[in-house]
Amino acid sequence: MGKTMIQKIIQRASGKEVQVGDRVWCRIDLSTARDFGGPNCVLQFDEVTDKGKVWDPDKIAFTFDLQAPAHAEKVANNQKIIRDFAKRQGITKVFDVNWGIGQHVLLENGLVKPGDVILGTDSHMNLLGGVGAFATGVGNTDIVASWINGTLWFRVPETMKITVSGTFAKGVCMRDFLTFLVGKLGADGMFFKAVEFYGETIEKSTLADRITLCSMVTEMSGKVGLIMPNGEVLDWLVKRAGMEVLDRVQTLKADPDAVYSDDLHFDVTGLEPMASCPDAPDNVKTVREAAGAHIDQVHIGSCSNGRFEDIAAAFEVLKAANFQISDSVRTIITPSTREVMKQCAEAGFIQKFLEAGVIFTNPTCSLCTAEHYGVLPGGDVGVSTTNRNFIGKVGKGSHTYLVSPMTAMASAVKGVLTDPRDILK
Amino acid sequence: MEQNVLRGKAWVFTDDVDTDLIYHNKYLAETDPKKMAQYSFEYYPGKEKFAKEAKPGDFVVAGRNFGTGSSREHAVYCLKELGIPVVLAESFARIYYRNAINNGYPVLFVKGLSDAIKEGKIQDGDELEVNISTGEIKDLTNGHTFHGDAVTDLEKDIMASGGLIEYLKAQAAKK
Repeated sequence: MGKTMIQKIIQRASGKEVQVGDRVWCRIDLSTARDFGGPNCVLQFDEVTDKGKVWDPDKIAFTFDLQAPAHAEKVANNQKIIRDFAKRQGITKVFDVNWGIGQHVLLENGLVKPGDVILGTDSHMNLLGGVGAFATGVGNTDIVASWINGTLWFRVPETMKITVSGTFAKGVCMRDFLTFLVGKLGADGMFFKAVEFYGETIEKSTLADRITLCSMVTEMSGKVGLIMPNGEVLDWLVKRAGMEVLDRVQTLKADPDAVYSDDLHFDVTGLEPMASCPDAPDNVKTVREAAGAHIDQVHIGSCSNGRFEDIAAAFEVLKAANFQISDSVRTIITPSTREVMKQCAEAGFIQKFLEAGVIFTNPTCSLCTAEHYGVLPGGDVGVSTTNRNFIGKVGKGSHTYLVSPMTAMASAVKGVLTDPRDILK
Repeated sequence: MEQNVLRGKAWVFTDDVDTDLIYHNKYLAETDPKKMAQYSFEYYPGKEKFAKEAKPGDFVVAGRNFGTGSSREHAVYCLKELGIPVVLAESFARIYYRNAINNGYPVLFVKGLSDAIKEGKIQDGDELEVNISTGEIKDLTNGHTFHGDAVTDLEKDIMASGGLIEYLKAQAAKK
Protein backbone atom coordinates (compact mmCIF):
# COMPACT_ATOMS: atom_id res chain seq x y z
CA MET A 1 0.00 0.00 0.00
CA GLY A 2 1.34 3.44 -0.94
CA LYS A 3 2.35 6.13 1.53
CA THR A 4 1.35 9.76 1.86
CA MET A 5 3.89 12.56 2.27
CA ILE A 6 3.62 12.74 6.05
CA GLN A 7 4.07 8.98 6.33
CA LYS A 8 7.24 9.15 4.23
CA ILE A 9 8.54 12.09 6.22
CA ILE A 10 7.94 10.30 9.52
CA GLN A 11 9.51 7.12 8.14
CA ARG A 12 12.63 9.06 7.19
CA ALA A 13 12.79 10.72 10.61
CA SER A 14 12.03 7.61 12.67
CA GLY A 15 13.78 4.96 10.59
CA LYS A 16 10.64 2.82 10.81
CA GLU A 17 7.90 1.64 8.50
CA VAL A 18 4.79 3.40 9.85
CA GLN A 19 1.01 3.16 9.65
CA VAL A 20 -1.65 5.71 10.58
CA GLY A 21 -2.07 5.77 14.36
CA ASP A 22 1.44 4.56 15.22
CA ARG A 23 3.34 6.51 17.87
CA VAL A 24 6.98 6.92 16.90
CA TRP A 25 10.04 8.89 17.95
CA CYS A 26 11.35 11.14 15.21
CA ARG A 27 14.79 12.70 14.84
CA ILE A 28 14.45 16.46 14.87
CA ASP A 29 16.15 18.45 12.11
CA LEU A 30 15.63 21.85 13.74
CA SER A 31 14.22 22.74 17.15
CA THR A 32 13.38 26.41 17.52
CA ALA A 33 11.92 28.74 20.09
CA ARG A 34 11.01 32.38 20.01
CA ASP A 35 10.85 35.32 22.36
CA PHE A 36 7.61 33.92 23.77
CA GLY A 37 7.77 30.38 24.99
CA GLY A 38 11.54 30.50 24.45
CA PRO A 39 12.38 31.82 27.93
CA ASN A 40 10.11 29.13 29.41
CA CYS A 41 12.05 26.51 27.41
CA VAL A 42 15.40 27.82 28.61
CA LEU A 43 14.37 28.00 32.27
CA GLN A 44 12.80 24.53 32.14
CA PHE A 45 15.82 23.05 30.33
CA ASP A 46 18.23 24.46 32.90
CA GLU A 47 16.06 23.17 35.72
CA VAL A 48 15.57 19.59 34.51
CA THR A 49 19.15 19.13 33.23
CA ASP A 50 20.83 21.12 36.00
CA LYS A 51 22.20 23.50 33.37
CA GLY A 52 23.36 20.67 31.10
CA LYS A 53 24.39 20.87 27.45
CA VAL A 54 21.92 20.69 24.57
CA TRP A 55 22.08 17.70 22.23
CA ASP A 56 23.29 19.65 19.19
CA PRO A 57 23.69 23.45 19.18
CA ASP A 58 23.71 23.46 15.35
CA LYS A 59 20.15 22.11 15.24
CA ILE A 60 18.68 24.73 17.53
CA ALA A 61 17.59 28.21 16.47
CA PHE A 62 16.02 31.19 18.21
CA THR A 63 13.83 33.83 16.61
CA PHE A 64 12.56 37.06 18.12
CA ASP A 65 9.28 38.06 16.58
CA LEU A 66 6.30 38.42 18.86
CA GLN A 67 7.48 41.57 20.62
CA ALA A 68 10.38 42.89 18.63
CA PRO A 69 12.00 45.13 19.67
CA ALA A 70 11.10 44.75 23.36
CA HIS A 71 8.60 47.29 24.65
CA ALA A 72 8.62 46.35 28.33
CA GLU A 73 11.19 45.36 30.92
CA LYS A 74 9.72 41.90 31.42
CA VAL A 75 9.98 41.21 27.68
CA ALA A 76 13.50 42.66 27.46
CA ASN A 77 14.59 40.40 30.33
CA ASN A 78 12.99 37.38 28.66
CA GLN A 79 14.90 38.11 25.46
CA LYS A 80 18.13 38.35 27.44
CA ILE A 81 17.46 34.90 28.95
CA ILE A 82 17.52 33.52 25.39
CA ARG A 83 20.60 35.44 24.25
CA ASP A 84 22.59 34.38 27.33
CA PHE A 85 21.54 30.74 26.91
CA ALA A 86 22.49 30.71 23.22
CA LYS A 87 25.92 32.12 24.03
CA ARG A 88 26.50 29.60 26.82
CA GLN A 89 25.39 26.68 24.63
CA GLY A 90 27.24 27.75 21.47
CA ILE A 91 23.98 28.19 19.55
CA THR A 92 24.77 30.54 16.67
CA LYS A 93 21.42 30.57 14.83
CA VAL A 94 19.99 33.49 16.77
CA PHE A 95 17.77 35.74 14.69
CA ASP A 96 17.38 38.73 16.94
CA VAL A 97 14.77 41.51 17.00
CA ASN A 98 15.94 42.94 13.67
CA TRP A 99 14.98 39.88 11.57
CA GLY A 100 11.22 39.36 11.59
CA ILE A 101 8.75 36.49 11.88
CA GLY A 102 10.50 33.25 12.81
CA GLN A 103 9.29 30.71 10.24
CA HIS A 104 9.78 33.19 7.39
CA VAL A 105 13.30 34.04 8.59
CA LEU A 106 14.23 30.34 8.84
CA LEU A 107 12.92 29.80 5.32
CA GLU A 108 14.77 32.79 3.85
CA ASN A 109 17.98 31.65 5.53
CA GLY A 110 17.92 28.23 3.89
CA LEU A 111 17.23 26.31 7.11
CA VAL A 112 14.13 24.52 5.81
CA LYS A 113 14.02 21.61 3.34
CA PRO A 114 11.17 19.37 2.25
CA GLY A 115 10.84 16.49 4.72
CA ASP A 116 12.59 18.26 7.60
CA VAL A 117 10.99 17.77 11.01
CA ILE A 118 10.97 21.19 12.63
CA LEU A 119 9.64 22.29 16.02
CA GLY A 120 8.82 25.75 17.29
CA THR A 121 6.89 27.50 20.04
CA ASP A 122 4.46 28.94 17.52
CA SER A 123 1.26 27.19 16.48
CA HIS A 124 1.75 28.45 12.92
CA MET A 125 5.14 26.73 12.48
CA ASN A 126 3.31 24.42 10.09
CA LEU A 127 3.23 27.12 7.40
CA LEU A 128 6.64 25.63 6.50
CA GLY A 129 4.60 22.78 5.03
CA GLY A 130 4.32 25.24 2.13
CA VAL A 131 7.74 23.89 1.07
CA GLY A 132 7.03 20.30 2.15
CA ALA A 133 8.54 20.42 5.65
CA PHE A 134 6.80 18.82 8.62
CA ALA A 135 6.96 21.75 11.02
CA THR A 136 4.76 21.90 14.06
CA GLY A 137 4.04 24.18 16.98
CA VAL A 138 4.62 22.61 20.38
CA GLY A 139 4.79 23.66 24.01
CA ASN A 140 7.97 24.24 25.97
CA THR A 141 8.13 20.70 27.39
CA ASP A 142 8.33 19.21 23.88
CA ILE A 143 11.07 21.67 22.97
CA VAL A 144 13.02 20.86 26.13
CA ALA A 145 12.69 17.12 25.47
CA SER A 146 14.06 17.63 21.95
CA TRP A 147 17.00 19.67 23.27
CA ILE A 148 17.88 16.80 25.60
CA ASN A 149 17.99 13.94 23.10
CA GLY A 150 17.14 15.29 19.65
CA THR A 151 13.94 13.30 19.23
CA LEU A 152 10.24 13.71 19.88
CA TRP A 153 7.14 11.51 19.81
CA PHE A 154 4.46 11.84 17.13
CA ARG A 155 1.28 10.04 16.21
CA VAL A 156 1.19 9.25 12.49
CA PRO A 157 -1.85 11.19 11.24
CA GLU A 158 -4.37 10.40 8.56
CA THR A 159 -3.98 12.50 5.41
CA MET A 160 -6.65 14.58 3.71
CA LYS A 161 -6.17 15.33 0.01
CA ILE A 162 -7.40 18.66 -1.35
CA THR A 163 -7.25 19.43 -5.07
CA VAL A 164 -7.77 23.02 -6.17
CA SER A 165 -8.50 24.06 -9.74
CA GLY A 166 -9.47 27.25 -11.52
CA THR A 167 -8.15 30.82 -11.64
CA PHE A 168 -8.91 33.59 -9.15
CA ALA A 169 -10.99 36.48 -10.45
CA LYS A 170 -9.67 40.03 -10.09
CA GLY A 171 -9.71 41.10 -6.44
CA VAL A 172 -9.79 37.50 -5.20
CA CYS A 173 -6.79 35.52 -3.94
CA MET A 174 -5.57 32.48 -2.03
CA ARG A 175 -6.54 34.01 1.32
CA ASP A 176 -10.15 34.16 0.14
CA PHE A 177 -10.03 30.48 -0.78
CA LEU A 178 -8.64 29.71 2.66
CA THR A 179 -11.32 31.72 4.41
CA PHE A 180 -13.91 29.90 2.30
CA LEU A 181 -12.32 26.58 3.30
CA VAL A 182 -12.31 27.41 7.03
CA GLY A 183 -16.00 28.26 6.74
CA LYS A 184 -16.73 25.08 4.83
CA LEU A 185 -14.78 22.64 7.02
CA GLY A 186 -15.05 24.43 10.37
CA ALA A 187 -12.67 24.98 13.28
CA ASP A 188 -12.06 21.25 13.68
CA GLY A 189 -12.52 20.25 10.03
CA MET A 190 -8.98 18.86 9.68
CA PHE A 191 -8.83 17.47 13.21
CA PHE A 192 -5.33 16.01 13.86
CA LYS A 193 -4.88 15.35 10.12
CA ALA A 194 -2.11 16.13 7.67
CA VAL A 195 -3.33 17.73 4.44
CA GLU A 196 -1.80 17.52 0.96
CA PHE A 197 -2.68 20.22 -1.55
CA TYR A 198 -2.69 19.53 -5.29
CA GLY A 199 -4.13 20.93 -8.51
CA GLU A 200 -3.33 23.56 -11.11
CA THR A 201 -4.16 26.47 -8.78
CA ILE A 202 -1.60 25.21 -6.27
CA GLU A 203 1.04 24.36 -8.88
CA LYS A 204 0.87 27.91 -10.27
CA SER A 205 0.79 29.60 -6.87
CA THR A 206 3.56 31.72 -5.35
CA LEU A 207 5.47 30.85 -2.20
CA ALA A 208 3.51 33.61 -0.42
CA ASP A 209 0.22 31.92 -1.37
CA ARG A 210 1.48 28.52 -0.22
CA ILE A 211 2.47 30.05 3.11
CA THR A 212 -1.00 31.56 3.50
CA LEU A 213 -2.63 28.24 2.64
CA CYS A 214 -0.55 26.15 5.04
CA SER A 215 -0.61 28.66 7.91
CA MET A 216 -4.39 28.51 8.06
CA VAL A 217 -4.45 24.70 8.38
CA THR A 218 -3.98 25.42 12.09
CA GLU A 219 -7.33 27.23 12.14
CA MET A 220 -8.99 23.98 11.03
CA SER A 221 -7.11 22.00 13.71
CA GLY A 222 -4.90 20.26 11.13
CA LYS A 223 -1.44 19.01 11.98
CA VAL A 224 0.31 20.25 8.84
CA GLY A 225 -0.55 21.22 5.28
CA LEU A 226 1.98 19.96 2.75
CA ILE A 227 2.86 21.12 -0.76
CA MET A 228 5.84 19.61 -2.56
CA PRO A 229 7.82 22.50 -4.12
CA ASN A 230 7.68 22.85 -7.92
CA GLY A 231 8.49 25.48 -10.54
CA GLU A 232 9.67 28.86 -9.29
CA VAL A 233 9.16 27.90 -5.65
CA LEU A 234 11.49 24.92 -6.13
CA ASP A 235 14.13 27.12 -7.84
CA TRP A 236 13.89 29.65 -4.98
CA LEU A 237 14.25 26.94 -2.36
CA VAL A 238 17.22 25.23 -4.04
CA LYS A 239 19.02 28.59 -4.13
CA ARG A 240 18.44 29.04 -0.40
CA ALA A 241 18.61 25.54 1.02
CA GLY A 242 20.82 23.70 -1.47
CA MET A 243 20.69 20.85 -3.97
CA GLU A 244 19.56 18.29 -1.41
CA VAL A 245 16.10 19.80 -1.83
CA LEU A 246 15.85 18.07 -5.24
CA ASP A 247 16.48 14.61 -3.75
CA ARG A 248 13.95 15.22 -1.01
CA VAL A 249 11.26 16.22 -3.50
CA GLN A 250 11.76 12.94 -5.36
CA THR A 251 11.98 10.59 -2.39
CA LEU A 252 9.29 12.11 -0.18
CA LYS A 253 6.47 12.81 -2.63
CA ALA A 254 3.33 10.79 -2.03
CA ASP A 255 2.96 7.43 -3.78
CA PRO A 256 0.35 7.31 -6.57
CA ASP A 257 -1.56 4.68 -4.58
CA ALA A 258 -1.30 6.48 -1.22
CA VAL A 259 -4.38 6.17 0.98
CA TYR A 260 -6.24 9.33 2.00
CA SER A 261 -8.97 9.80 4.60
CA ASP A 262 -10.71 12.43 2.46
CA ASP A 263 -10.45 13.51 -1.18
CA LEU A 264 -11.89 17.00 -1.67
CA HIS A 265 -12.04 19.08 -4.86
CA PHE A 266 -12.61 22.81 -5.16
CA ASP A 267 -12.75 25.21 -8.08
CA VAL A 268 -11.83 28.81 -7.25
CA THR A 269 -13.34 30.22 -10.44
CA GLY A 270 -16.22 32.42 -9.38
CA LEU A 271 -15.03 32.62 -5.77
CA GLU A 272 -15.70 36.00 -4.14
CA PRO A 273 -13.68 37.94 -1.52
CA MET A 274 -14.40 36.30 1.84
CA ALA A 275 -14.28 37.42 5.48
CA SER A 276 -14.04 35.61 8.80
CA CYS A 277 -16.47 37.70 10.83
CA PRO A 278 -16.27 38.30 14.60
CA ASP A 279 -15.48 36.31 16.70
CA ALA A 280 -14.22 33.10 15.07
CA PRO A 281 -12.21 32.17 11.96
CA ASP A 282 -15.00 29.81 10.86
CA ASN A 283 -17.74 32.50 11.05
CA VAL A 284 -17.45 33.11 7.31
CA LYS A 285 -19.41 35.36 4.94
CA THR A 286 -18.64 36.95 1.59
CA VAL A 287 -17.26 40.46 1.93
CA ARG A 288 -20.31 41.60 -0.08
CA GLU A 289 -22.61 40.26 2.63
CA ALA A 290 -20.69 41.98 5.42
CA ALA A 291 -19.74 45.13 3.46
CA GLY A 292 -20.32 48.50 5.08
CA ALA A 293 -19.52 47.26 8.56
CA HIS A 294 -18.02 49.94 10.80
CA ILE A 295 -14.26 49.61 11.33
CA ASP A 296 -11.63 51.51 13.33
CA GLN A 297 -8.36 49.92 12.26
CA VAL A 298 -6.87 48.00 9.35
CA HIS A 299 -3.85 45.77 9.70
CA ILE A 300 -1.93 44.02 6.91
CA GLY A 301 0.78 41.59 7.94
CA SER A 302 1.39 38.43 10.05
CA CYS A 303 2.89 35.03 9.26
CA SER A 304 -0.19 34.31 7.11
CA ASN A 305 -0.18 37.37 4.83
CA GLY A 306 2.94 39.48 5.39
CA ARG A 307 5.01 38.55 2.31
CA PHE A 308 6.04 40.98 -0.41
CA GLU A 309 3.33 39.64 -2.76
CA ASP A 310 0.69 40.31 -0.08
CA ILE A 311 1.84 43.89 0.44
CA ALA A 312 2.13 44.38 -3.35
CA ALA A 313 -1.51 43.26 -3.72
CA ALA A 314 -2.55 45.83 -1.13
CA PHE A 315 -0.45 48.44 -2.93
CA GLU A 316 -2.33 47.79 -6.19
CA VAL A 317 -5.63 48.53 -4.44
CA LEU A 318 -4.24 51.72 -2.91
CA LYS A 319 -2.92 52.75 -6.33
CA ALA A 320 -6.33 52.20 -7.91
CA ALA A 321 -7.73 54.56 -5.25
CA ASN A 322 -5.20 57.27 -6.15
CA PHE A 323 -3.26 56.62 -2.95
CA GLN A 324 -6.00 57.97 -0.69
CA ILE A 325 -7.00 56.20 2.52
CA SER A 326 -9.81 57.14 4.87
CA ASP A 327 -9.03 59.44 7.82
CA SER A 328 -11.46 57.50 9.99
CA VAL A 329 -9.30 54.37 10.28
CA ARG A 330 -5.79 53.66 11.51
CA THR A 331 -3.97 51.65 8.84
CA ILE A 332 -0.93 49.57 9.77
CA ILE A 333 1.26 47.49 7.46
CA THR A 334 3.83 45.10 8.94
CA PRO A 335 6.16 43.17 6.60
CA SER A 336 6.96 39.63 7.76
CA THR A 337 10.75 39.98 7.54
CA ARG A 338 13.55 42.46 6.98
CA GLU A 339 14.04 40.96 3.51
CA VAL A 340 10.38 41.68 2.68
CA MET A 341 10.71 45.20 4.07
CA LYS A 342 13.74 45.76 1.85
CA GLN A 343 11.79 44.52 -1.19
CA CYS A 344 9.01 46.98 -0.33
CA ALA A 345 11.55 49.80 -0.09
CA GLU A 346 13.14 48.86 -3.42
CA ALA A 347 9.75 48.73 -5.13
CA GLY A 348 8.99 52.25 -3.91
CA PHE A 349 5.98 51.10 -1.89
CA ILE A 350 7.02 52.48 1.47
CA GLN A 351 7.25 56.08 0.24
CA LYS A 352 3.74 55.87 -1.21
CA PHE A 353 2.28 54.17 1.86
CA LEU A 354 3.75 56.82 4.16
CA GLU A 355 2.43 59.64 1.96
CA ALA A 356 -1.03 58.08 2.15
CA GLY A 357 -0.87 58.05 5.96
CA VAL A 358 -0.18 54.36 6.48
CA ILE A 359 1.86 53.28 9.52
CA PHE A 360 4.59 51.06 8.03
CA THR A 361 6.29 49.14 10.84
CA ASN A 362 9.37 47.01 11.37
CA PRO A 363 8.96 43.27 10.72
CA THR A 364 7.26 41.51 13.65
CA CYS A 365 4.14 39.52 14.52
CA SER A 366 2.53 42.79 15.66
CA LEU A 367 -1.22 42.35 16.00
CA CYS A 368 -1.17 38.65 16.84
CA THR A 369 -0.81 39.60 20.49
CA ALA A 370 -2.56 42.21 22.59
CA GLU A 371 0.83 43.14 24.01
CA HIS A 372 2.11 44.90 20.93
CA TYR A 373 1.32 48.00 18.96
CA GLY A 374 -2.08 48.19 17.34
CA VAL A 375 -4.00 46.83 20.34
CA LEU A 376 -7.71 47.57 20.02
CA PRO A 377 -9.70 49.23 22.81
CA GLY A 378 -13.03 47.77 23.91
CA GLY A 379 -15.76 48.44 21.34
CA ASP A 380 -13.37 48.94 18.43
CA VAL A 381 -13.54 46.83 15.28
CA GLY A 382 -10.46 45.82 13.34
CA VAL A 383 -9.90 44.42 9.86
CA SER A 384 -6.83 42.23 9.70
CA THR A 385 -4.93 39.72 7.58
CA THR A 386 -3.85 37.82 10.71
CA ASN A 387 -5.13 34.31 11.30
CA ARG A 388 -7.27 34.49 14.44
CA ASN A 389 -10.16 36.65 15.60
CA PHE A 390 -11.11 34.89 18.80
CA ILE A 391 -13.03 36.99 21.32
CA GLY A 392 -10.87 39.79 22.69
CA LYS A 393 -7.65 38.40 21.20
CA VAL A 394 -6.19 41.83 20.43
CA GLY A 395 -7.99 43.69 23.22
CA LYS A 396 -10.88 42.93 25.57
CA GLY A 397 -14.21 43.93 24.05
CA SER A 398 -12.79 44.40 20.54
CA HIS A 399 -13.80 42.51 17.40
CA THR A 400 -11.96 41.62 14.21
CA TYR A 401 -12.75 40.69 10.59
CA LEU A 402 -10.10 38.49 8.97
CA VAL A 403 -9.68 39.18 5.25
CA SER A 404 -7.22 39.22 2.34
CA PRO A 405 -4.66 42.03 1.92
CA MET A 406 -6.76 43.42 -0.98
CA THR A 407 -9.95 43.53 1.08
CA ALA A 408 -8.01 45.05 3.99
CA MET A 409 -6.65 47.87 1.84
CA ALA A 410 -10.02 48.44 0.14
CA SER A 411 -11.50 48.83 3.62
CA ALA A 412 -8.75 51.30 4.58
CA VAL A 413 -9.61 53.31 1.47
CA LYS A 414 -13.35 53.46 2.14
CA GLY A 415 -13.28 53.47 5.95
CA VAL A 416 -15.77 50.60 6.15
CA LEU A 417 -15.50 46.92 5.29
CA THR A 418 -15.23 46.98 1.49
CA ASP A 419 -15.09 44.48 -1.39
CA PRO A 420 -11.85 45.26 -3.30
CA ARG A 421 -13.67 44.76 -6.62
CA ASP A 422 -15.42 48.08 -5.91
CA ILE A 423 -12.03 49.76 -6.29
CA LEU A 424 -10.19 47.47 -8.74
CA LYS A 425 -12.55 48.19 -11.61
CA MET B 1 -14.23 7.15 48.96
CA GLU B 2 -11.77 5.58 46.53
CA GLN B 3 -8.77 7.74 45.71
CA ASN B 4 -9.59 7.65 42.02
CA VAL B 5 -13.11 8.95 42.56
CA LEU B 6 -13.19 12.73 42.66
CA ARG B 7 -15.99 15.07 43.56
CA GLY B 8 -16.29 18.71 42.64
CA LYS B 9 -18.26 21.44 40.98
CA ALA B 10 -18.59 21.75 37.20
CA TRP B 11 -17.48 24.86 35.31
CA VAL B 12 -19.02 24.47 31.89
CA PHE B 13 -17.57 25.83 28.62
CA THR B 14 -18.58 25.70 24.96
CA ASP B 15 -16.98 24.10 21.87
CA ASP B 16 -13.73 25.52 20.43
CA VAL B 17 -12.51 27.18 23.63
CA ASP B 18 -9.26 28.71 22.37
CA THR B 19 -6.05 29.28 24.28
CA ASP B 20 -6.62 33.04 24.43
CA LEU B 21 -9.81 32.39 26.38
CA ILE B 22 -8.04 29.93 28.69
CA TYR B 23 -4.91 32.05 29.12
CA HIS B 24 -4.75 35.34 27.24
CA ASN B 25 -1.72 36.34 25.14
CA LYS B 26 -1.48 39.49 27.25
CA TYR B 27 0.21 37.41 29.95
CA LEU B 28 2.53 35.34 27.77
CA ALA B 29 5.65 36.99 29.16
CA GLU B 30 5.05 35.15 32.44
CA THR B 31 7.61 32.39 32.96
CA ASP B 32 6.64 31.17 36.45
CA PRO B 33 3.89 28.50 36.17
CA LYS B 34 2.72 29.23 39.71
CA LYS B 35 1.84 32.79 38.76
CA MET B 36 -0.17 31.71 35.71
CA ALA B 37 -3.16 30.36 37.67
CA GLN B 38 -4.57 33.82 38.47
CA TYR B 39 -5.18 34.56 34.75
CA SER B 40 -7.21 31.42 33.94
CA PHE B 41 -10.27 32.17 31.77
CA GLU B 42 -9.97 35.92 32.43
CA TYR B 43 -11.08 36.64 28.84
CA TYR B 44 -13.91 34.07 28.74
CA PRO B 45 -17.17 36.07 28.76
CA GLY B 46 -19.08 35.25 31.95
CA LYS B 47 -16.21 33.30 33.50
CA GLU B 48 -13.90 36.22 34.29
CA LYS B 49 -13.87 35.34 38.00
CA PHE B 50 -13.06 31.68 37.44
CA ALA B 51 -9.52 31.95 38.84
CA LYS B 52 -10.81 33.53 42.07
CA GLU B 53 -13.89 31.38 42.55
CA ALA B 54 -12.92 27.91 41.32
CA LYS B 55 -11.88 25.63 44.15
CA PRO B 56 -9.21 22.96 43.98
CA GLY B 57 -11.07 19.83 42.94
CA ASP B 58 -13.55 21.61 40.67
CA PHE B 59 -13.81 20.39 37.07
CA VAL B 60 -13.47 22.14 33.74
CA VAL B 61 -16.13 20.69 31.41
CA ALA B 62 -16.10 21.59 27.71
CA GLY B 63 -17.29 20.63 24.25
CA ARG B 64 -15.26 19.94 21.13
CA ASN B 65 -11.71 21.06 20.34
CA PHE B 66 -10.80 22.38 23.80
CA GLY B 67 -7.55 24.38 23.75
CA THR B 68 -7.53 25.21 20.05
CA GLY B 69 -5.13 27.94 18.94
CA SER B 70 -1.73 28.72 20.32
CA SER B 71 1.03 26.36 21.48
CA ARG B 72 1.36 28.10 24.85
CA GLU B 73 1.82 25.62 27.66
CA HIS B 74 0.61 28.35 30.02
CA ALA B 75 -2.93 27.18 29.18
CA VAL B 76 -2.19 23.82 30.84
CA TYR B 77 -0.10 25.15 33.72
CA CYS B 78 -2.73 27.65 34.82
CA LEU B 79 -5.45 25.00 35.34
CA LYS B 80 -3.03 22.53 36.90
CA GLU B 81 -1.78 25.15 39.34
CA LEU B 82 -5.35 26.08 40.28
CA GLY B 83 -5.92 22.48 41.34
CA ILE B 84 -8.36 21.52 38.60
CA PRO B 85 -7.76 17.74 38.74
CA VAL B 86 -8.88 16.85 35.20
CA VAL B 87 -10.36 18.52 32.13
CA LEU B 88 -13.42 16.76 30.69
CA ALA B 89 -14.11 17.54 27.04
CA GLU B 90 -15.65 15.96 23.96
CA SER B 91 -12.24 16.42 22.30
CA PHE B 92 -8.99 18.33 22.71
CA ALA B 93 -7.02 20.39 20.23
CA ARG B 94 -3.82 18.72 19.13
CA ILE B 95 -1.22 20.91 20.82
CA TYR B 96 -3.25 21.30 24.01
CA TYR B 97 -3.52 17.53 24.18
CA ARG B 98 0.26 17.10 23.82
CA ASN B 99 0.96 19.76 26.41
CA ALA B 100 -1.40 18.11 28.90
CA ILE B 101 0.12 14.65 28.40
CA ASN B 102 3.65 16.03 28.55
CA ASN B 103 2.83 17.50 31.96
CA GLY B 104 1.11 14.40 33.28
CA TYR B 105 -2.11 16.41 33.44
CA PRO B 106 -5.21 14.20 33.05
CA VAL B 107 -7.70 14.77 30.26
CA LEU B 108 -10.77 12.66 29.54
CA PHE B 109 -12.43 12.40 26.12
CA VAL B 110 -16.16 12.36 26.89
CA LYS B 111 -18.51 11.30 24.09
CA GLY B 112 -21.70 13.33 23.85
CA LEU B 113 -20.47 16.12 26.10
CA SER B 114 -20.72 18.81 23.44
CA ASP B 115 -24.42 18.11 22.84
CA ALA B 116 -25.10 17.64 26.56
CA ILE B 117 -23.70 21.11 27.23
CA LYS B 118 -25.77 22.63 24.42
CA GLU B 119 -28.91 20.89 25.72
CA GLY B 120 -28.27 22.03 29.31
CA LYS B 121 -27.84 18.48 30.59
CA ILE B 122 -24.74 19.57 32.41
CA GLN B 123 -24.53 23.06 33.86
CA ASP B 124 -22.33 25.41 35.85
CA GLY B 125 -22.33 24.48 39.50
CA ASP B 126 -23.49 20.87 39.04
CA GLU B 127 -21.89 18.51 41.51
CA LEU B 128 -19.89 15.86 39.62
CA GLU B 129 -18.40 12.57 40.62
CA VAL B 130 -15.58 11.48 38.31
CA ASN B 131 -13.88 8.11 38.45
CA ILE B 132 -10.50 8.73 36.83
CA SER B 133 -9.79 4.99 36.49
CA THR B 134 -13.01 3.85 34.84
CA GLY B 135 -13.96 7.15 33.18
CA GLU B 136 -17.44 7.08 34.74
CA ILE B 137 -18.85 10.57 35.26
CA LYS B 138 -22.01 11.17 37.29
CA ASP B 139 -23.79 14.50 37.44
CA LEU B 140 -25.14 14.21 40.99
CA THR B 141 -27.27 17.34 40.58
CA ASN B 142 -29.47 16.02 37.76
CA GLY B 143 -28.61 12.34 37.50
CA HIS B 144 -27.10 12.29 33.99
CA THR B 145 -24.13 10.01 33.46
CA PHE B 146 -21.30 10.19 30.93
CA HIS B 147 -18.36 8.04 29.98
CA GLY B 148 -14.88 9.40 29.43
CA ASP B 149 -12.00 7.62 27.70
CA ALA B 150 -8.57 7.99 29.19
CA VAL B 151 -5.52 8.17 26.92
CA THR B 152 -3.90 5.04 25.50
CA ASP B 153 -0.65 3.91 23.83
CA LEU B 154 2.50 5.94 24.44
CA GLU B 155 0.50 8.77 25.99
CA LYS B 156 -0.62 6.41 28.77
CA ASP B 157 3.00 5.54 29.56
CA ILE B 158 4.01 9.21 29.59
CA MET B 159 1.09 9.99 31.92
CA ALA B 160 2.08 7.09 34.20
CA SER B 161 5.58 8.55 34.50
CA GLY B 162 4.14 11.94 35.44
CA GLY B 163 5.11 13.71 32.21
CA LEU B 164 7.44 13.66 29.22
CA ILE B 165 10.64 14.73 30.99
CA GLU B 166 10.05 12.18 33.77
CA TYR B 167 9.33 9.53 31.13
CA LEU B 168 12.60 10.28 29.32
CA LYS B 169 14.54 10.13 32.58
CA ALA B 170 12.97 6.77 33.42
CA GLN B 171 13.82 5.44 29.96
CA ALA B 172 17.41 6.67 30.25
CA ALA B 173 17.75 4.99 33.66
CA LYS B 174 16.66 1.66 32.15
CA LYS B 175 19.48 1.67 29.63
